[in-house]
Amino acid sequence: MENNIKIEIDNKLCNVSVVRVAITSLISQKDVPLDEITEIKTAISEAVTNCIEHAYEEENQKVVISAKLSTIDDMDFLLINIEDFGIGIEDVDLATTPGYTTKPELEHAGMGFTIMETFMDEITIDSKMGSGTKIKLMKKLRTRKVSNI
Amino acid sequence: MKYTYDKENESLKLELIEEIDMNSCKALRSIIDGYIIKYNPKECILDLNKVSFMDSSGLGLIMGRHSLIKMLNAKLTLVGPNESIKKIIKLSHIGKEIRII
Repeated sequence: MENNIKIEIDNKLCNVSVVRVAITSLISQKDVPLDEITEIKTAISEAVTNCIEHAYEEENQKVVISAKLSTIDDMDFLLINIEDFGIGIEDVDLATTPGYTTKPELEHAGMGFTIMETFMDEITIDSKMGSGTKIKLMKKLRTRKVSNI
Repeated sequence: MKYTYDKENESLKLELIEEIDMNSCKALRSIIDGYIIKYNPKECILDLNKVSFMDSSGLGLIMGRHSLIKMLNAKLTLVGPNESIKKIIKLSHIGKEIRII
């Protein structure tokens, strides 16, 4: 069994909360503990904010978020893809180093990827210079099962 | 944002009530700095009890206020972060430098 959603947003910071609400709504269909929902929201917020802050120099560019909720062998999995078509990440190892940021003057903490790695079970970064970046996030949900008596 | 200033202890308390992300950070930063510069307190307390969500931009916000407050020879205290926010703070070095209640 699976359920898919796809959201396309303009690269505006005010759209990050729209994505958070949509993802929260999707995973709330499962009985997921609140702290886990908050952690997933935080990870997605980091990924989408990255695209908006770093991928493009122009306005009105696209960021595409797709999420899949699937049940395999009675376990629930959440897969989220966050894709932009911007400049790409030159050095992924450097970009994912805790505390590294290209915008310290804007008080960026440089902790986005560290938070994604901490709060999700798996993260894959696929970036090509000049054509964009695709982030895949995966989490096995701690769904509370209703027992059949 | 609600604020209270305790004259006797020269302590400024700011109660944040919004979701803290990159979008809300810019406005929050200038409001918080405005209060800090106005009162020049010995202690600044950021009350996070009503903050339901914060990502790494909030971490940047806290780190920035911490540097400003250190420059003013004052101290920064965080009150009431939820478990996820606590986890995020502990991931960064700032967790060791400021008091969290």
